[in-house]
Amino acid sequence: MPFALDVADALPTLGDAAARESALRAFEAAGLPTTRDEVWRYAPLERLDLDRVRPAVSAGVVPPSRLADAIASGSCAVVHTVDGFVVEQSTVPDGVRVTVAPPGATPLEGSSQERYAADAFALVNAALAPGALEIRIERDVVLEAPLVVVHHVSPGLAVAPRTHIVLERGAAATVVELLVGGAGSVVVPVGEYRLEANSSLRLVAYQRLAMDAWHVARTTAVIDRDARMSHSVLGLGAVYDRSRNDAELIATGARNELRTTYLGRADQVHDLRTRQFHRAARTTSVLLSKGAVDDASRSIYTGLIEIEHGARKTDARQTNHNLLLSPHAHADSVPNLDIRENDVVCAHASTVGPLDELQLWYLQSRGVSRDDAQRLMIQGFFAEMLDDLPSGVATSMEEDVAALLGGVEVSA
Amino acid sequence: MSTGLVLDGLCVRVGEKDVLRGIDLRVGAGEVHVIMGPNGSGKSTLAHALAGHPGYQVTAGRALLDGVDLLSLDPTERARHGLFLALQQPLDVPGVRPRDMLLAAGAVAEGLETRIEDEARRVGLRPDLLERFVNVGLSGGERKRAEVVQFGVLRPTIAVLDEIDSGLDVDALGAVARRLAAATSEWGCGLLAITHFRRLLSELRPDTIHVISGGRVVATGGPELAETLEREGYEPFRSH
Repeated sequence: MPFALDVADALPTLGDAAARESALRAFEAAGLPTTRDEVWRYAPLERLDLDRVRPAVSAGVVPPSRLADAIASGSCAVVHTVDGFVVEQSTVPDGVRVTVAPPGATPLEGSSQERYAADAFALVNAALAPGALEIRIERDVVLEAPLVVVHHVSPGLAVAPRTHIVLERGAAATVVELLVGGAGSVVVPVGEYRLEANSSLRLVAYQRLAMDAWHVARTTAVIDRDARMSHSVLGLGAVYDRSRNDAELIATGARNELRTTYLGRADQVHDLRTRQFHRAARTTSVLLSKGAVDDASRSIYTGLIEIEHGARKTDARQTNHNLLLSPHAHADSVPNLDIRENDVVCAHASTVGPLDELQLWYLQSRGVSRDDAQRLMIQGFFAEMLDDLPSGVATSMEEDVAALLGGVEVSA
Repeated sequence: MSTGLVLDGLCVRVGEKDVLRGIDLRVGAGEVHVIMGPNGSGKSTLAHALAGHPGYQVTAGRALLDGVDLLSLDPTERARHGLFLALQQPLDVPGVRPRDMLLAAGAVAEGLETRIEDEARRVGLRPDLLERFVNVGLSGGERKRAEVVQFGVLRPTIAVLDEIDSGLDVDALGAVARRLAAATSEWGCGLLAITHFRRLLSELRPDTIHVISGGRVVATGGPELAETLEREGYEPFRSH
């Protein structure tokens, strides 16, 4: 069994051995998925060699990262984790608490065991997460500048970052989570977010791991009355980049905006799974997934909108646009609806195709080369997704994307 | 000094249809020419074909700009060689900022913001409308003015203006026409303006007016030609 030996050694070091043992047993019972499972059909699981990675058992030092520095400039506070351990944090503004909770703790109602029952990678997280970074924004506290969390990952490890964010009633904050490093590592982040009534969270997950890392992330947001979660998920790194983002809208007026963007290169797979669960009337979810696949890369978007009986006047929309930049690239889009209420508005749209020829021509007719026009338009995908973020964060990310795409200069 | 634009027997097909059937034209440096003609006569086709729009196929003829045949160049090279097209319906390009587009198009980075702002002011466009994405969220009239801002920043040798006057109110039209006309003396820009309306003529003061009908230039003359058109319509000029 993968991990069996190493984990046995690791557990006493990490503490909370009993909880970890139990997660480990659940993991062993669930087993790693196979591509015969529909939801894992596109994962190159045959190339996942868990024997090559060791569980992270101790905190390292924060490695230099220009990207992290750029994104953190202008923030109200920065927290660094290394291999899942919180190792450094700046002073935080009044009304913000940053703590490390035991890995078994959860800010969400219901049992984590049930939530992650058959999810092998979330169970690995439960077994290996050194602790949960918990960010709590107290009642009615409004953070003007973003709070930045940088997760550094060392090479060749199994790393389980865990982040809990709680916004108390009326609080508002922007949190940016950046994942960097991780050559040859397997990274299995779990995020749990609780938005109490009238709170507002803008969350950006920027995955910028090494191109041979594995990234299998799962997040759950529970959104209460008139609270609003705006969630941007950007995937650039990892050979297999999977992100499952769930939201539960539990009371009237709750709103979830989820925007996912990816750029596929080489033989990357970007595998995006969403579930918006409308449990109350007058709740809104807006999903926009836009990405580009180049070379022999592939993307999968599978979105489920679930509307409970009684969730009247629910408004749920999902849109998925995929750019094909190479004849060997592939994009699949599978929107699903499960509606148990009549009085709702639901819409979904998806497109798969190359860059718009007329837009390319328009840019060319100004004197932009075709290559630059393509790069500008792909960068534009990201720029759109970052459009409502604080400009410092958006600019750093846009510059990073631009550098990746081959050096088209972007606006300062 | 530019020797201008020379169209020589230009034939263009759109789909299965031969729309332009031998266009001959000559626009010298600093000259203002206007093309008028009934709907469907091929005016916009001429503009699109010159700029290399993928839907338009040139089947015969030449289009020389300063002695180089534009038709042998791709759309980027045509623009870099000095051709500018202001579209009748400028496209929006979500995610791409005007500044980045202009930089990639070869505009000098130094002082670019200032030049964009100056050009925007000259045509009565709020500069902040050019800080987001190319033409996204702009009205028809704002898009036309944004095209003229690009024109002013890129300073082409020759500009083809496809109904630059449509969608503009009287004041905006005056500002746009004055900016365009000033370019003829500022850097000797040649203008080839396609229009249906005399008002643009009174603002632009063209040297020459061409009437296109049935895919050919059927009449060429001075500003008095516009008055004839106003009086008699296109019927006398139609090629049968």
